[in-house]
Amino acid sequence: MDIAQILINTLVRAAELSLLAIGLTMVFDILKFANFAHTDYAVLGALFAYVFNRILGLNLFLAIILAAFVTGWVGILIDQAIFKRLRKIGAKPVTLMITSMGTAIALRNLMRLIWTSHTKTYAIPLQKPFEILGARITPLQIGIIVVGLLSMISFHLLLHRTTFGKALRAISDNSDLANACAIDSEKMIKRMWFLASAYGVIGGSMIAMEHLLYPRLGFDVIIPVFCATILGGIGNPYGAMLGALTLAFAENLILALDLAPLINLGGLFDVGSIQISTGYKPAISFMILIIVLLFKPTGILRKK
Amino acid sequence: MPIINFIIYLLTMIGIYSLLAMSLNFQVGFTGLINFGQVAFFCIGAYTSSLLVVNAGVPVVVAFLAAMALSGIFGYIMSIPTKSLKSDYWAIATLASGEIVRLVALNEAWLTAGPFGVMGIPQILKDLIPKDAYPVFYLLFVIACIIMVYIFLSMLTNSPFGRNLKAIRDEEELCLSLGKDTQQLKLQAMIVAGTVGGLAGSLFAFYIQFISPENFKPIETFLMWAMIIVGGRGNFKGAIIGAVVIQLFNVSTRFLGNYVPLGSDSMAALRMMIIGVLIILFLLYRPEGLIKEKKKIYD
Amino acid sequence: MLTIKNLEKRFGSLKALDDVSVEVEDDCIVGLIGPNGSGKTTLFNVVSGFYEKDGGEIFFKGARIDGLPPNKIAKKGLCRTFQVSKAPEKMTVLENMLLAAEHQIGEDPFSALFMRSRVQKSEKTNLERALELLDMLQLSQLKNDYAGDLSGGQKKLLSLGRVFMLKPDMILLDEPTAGVNPTLRVQLMEAIRQLQKMERKAFFIIEHSMKVISSICDKVYVLNFGQKIAEGTPEEIQQNEQVLEAYLSGA
Repeated sequence: MDIAQILINTLVRAAELSLLAIGLTMVFDILKFANFAHTDYAVLGALFAYVFNRILGLNLFLAIILAAFVTGWVGILIDQAIFKRLRKIGAKPVTLMITSMGTAIALRNLMRLIWTSHTKTYAIPLQKPFEILGARITPLQIGIIVVGLLSMISFHLLLHRTTFGKALRAISDNSDLANACAIDSEKMIKRMWFLASAYGVIGGSMIAMEHLLYPRLGFDVIIPVFCATILGGIGNPYGAMLGALTLAFAENLILALDLAPLINLGGLFDVGSIQISTGYKPAISFMILIIVLLFKPTGILRKK
Repeated sequence: MPIINFIIYLLTMIGIYSLLAMSLNFQVGFTGLINFGQVAFFCIGAYTSSLLVVNAGVPVVVAFLAAMALSGIFGYIMSIPTKSLKSDYWAIATLASGEIVRLVALNEAWLTAGPFGVMGIPQILKDLIPKDAYPVFYLLFVIACIIMVYIFLSMLTNSPFGRNLKAIRDEEELCLSLGKDTQQLKLQAMIVAGTVGGLAGSLFAFYIQFISPENFKPIETFLMWAMIIVGGRGNFKGAIIGAVVIQLFNVSTRFLGNYVPLGSDSMAALRMMIIGVLIILFLLYRPEGLIKEKKKIYD
Repeated sequence: MLTIKNLEKRFGSLKALDDVSVEVEDDCIVGLIGPNGSGKTTLFNVVSGFYEKDGGEIFFKGARIDGLPPNKIAKKGLCRTFQVSKAPEKMTVLENMLLAAEHQIGEDPFSALFMRSRVQKSEKTNLERALELLDMLQLSQLKNDYAGDLSGGQKKLLSLGRVFMLKPDMILLDEPTAGVNPTLRVQLMEAIRQLQKMERKAFFIIEHSMKVISSICDKVYVLNFGQKIAEGTPEEIQQNEQVLEAYLSGA
């Protein structure tokens, strides 16, 4: 596989993962716990989009936007019902994490109950790939990269041009200071959940569009998203984007690598082509995650 | 009589899972180690013992011991990152390791026969026990293991070692300031927990006589977590009760499926959803679980 | 016994400890005072191994201890308490005391399982000592209560008791009387004085109350903004102009 194809696959995957990672990193940073249900919110949204698109006949783009909006509210609701109560009784972050695990299981299986485990697809026309620099790319993939970029830019603008964004960055940098400045933390928390969930839905829908949509998708994607988040440093959305890019690149590169030259040791042995089996693709992000956690749990970018 | 056989099957499976629940409780409830990859011990134990007997003709006792040893070693490996990782990061890493173990079992077909799994695992002492009595024999064997493990783990937790573990769970910095090598203690805890998990895996493999990566998906870890959350952390009776409750629930809903107009996939989904909700409800309203941790009184 | 030379500790661009040198002799009670944020607890954290230093050297009983992890330093005989007393929620007062006991058999799985009788003997000895100490600290009636249920002052007493179970050569006490009612405070100080006489330990105490300092300390060091600004007897310190200024302006 040549470098151009690797780059294209990387960009597509990075676009998908980063939208999920920025929400996760926000929640992890501000509420101080790892929300294991984060990707399941995204899949819920993707399923809503599926309903709006396939059953209500909405244009796909509109369907996703509407779904993101609805799921934003779901994110707030779940927090009010579950996590907020734990915060109120002073539960440790670890307890919140375990509860989010329970939430993930409940949500995932609720989706499975409602929509069955069968895979779903959106109403997308059959894709004919283009050829760019010897690599193939479909209009859908171009769309994903573009939407990804636009979403990240909109997120950046939100962080820097709105009062909400500034308050968010203030809380992220120093929660004591933020409290002193009378930033209404309850309202902030609700808005944060809304955003995190909504952006996640866009990312989740993109993954569903490019591959398959099924209730268990959330679990299949949680580790790569954690990986991207931690790579970039908790609380740093730009780091999360970079982390997503790095991880996507690593995944595609490692799978494309032919280890034979390494083993052959320049003529000593004569082994045929050795590649890491694609069955290990999920394991790549797991391994990278473990390596990052071992060597630099604060991420490759320092927190701003 | 099919009903009797079914009850024996249920009790045996409850037994095997209670070993896993006790192992998890030892990590979570006593040492405060949040392990989301518990299924890895189950998997390594099952595969090691069965592969050794089926492929290498090793005597069953040796295979069991080897399985426990290997799981214990994996426990050691998992404990190494606790030095530099905070508990939530470590939890994520354990989730990843559990999956890596399963993926290795799935992909390294030369060793594990990949997706086809290990077949034809023989029954232990098949020739000595009459066929009809075998299920009861195995159940008694599992119960004997549970009793041994219960005593073994209780001795550990009632000792100064156990006291150190509880202290790590509640206030690790204090332990350090009192001169305890917390890293080594966690390591020892994980090795013990891994060994027990390996035993459970071996018992499982030799009971159902066929294992594949499908038996060791992450959902298993979460079932074990539900068991200790519902049953009660910080005590082994709770782990066993939790195993009883969750397994009973699990299995009984399989039967309800015959009377409720839901497909098997939907039944499974409903079942797991309720388990997820149970976890949430217990953590919200009764975090100590059904059986609370007992206070240690000195005279 | 404890010699700190030119200790430095930075947090980002903030110098929490700037060229601090301290000497605590055997058998002495030395005080450490200074306004809030002057670096007192930071000093304790670095010396006890919880923080890494950025410069300087620390010697204990002649050997260097900077860079060692906290548990190794504690095992060498230099122990500490915390400003906010740490009380394991689900462990009783007695369990806390036994946790800290100096020589225990059974702290690892092997001995816990196979040396049961020796474990029982060592537990019994440690239990006796624990009960003795609890008696002296007047905490005996709480011995089977959860440590998490104790009042702030009682937790402080428990911290003291725990540390004494370790039989250390030197104890760093971080605000041992903060939040403690006056009667208990007198008790605490008596306990410290008694133990120092009985077992000839050295104490290094962070305190805010000049009363406590002047009544039990042989020598006092004063920190402000991470720097040592004075050292001497309690009387000398109380007359020192720099010290007075620091407290008036800083606090």
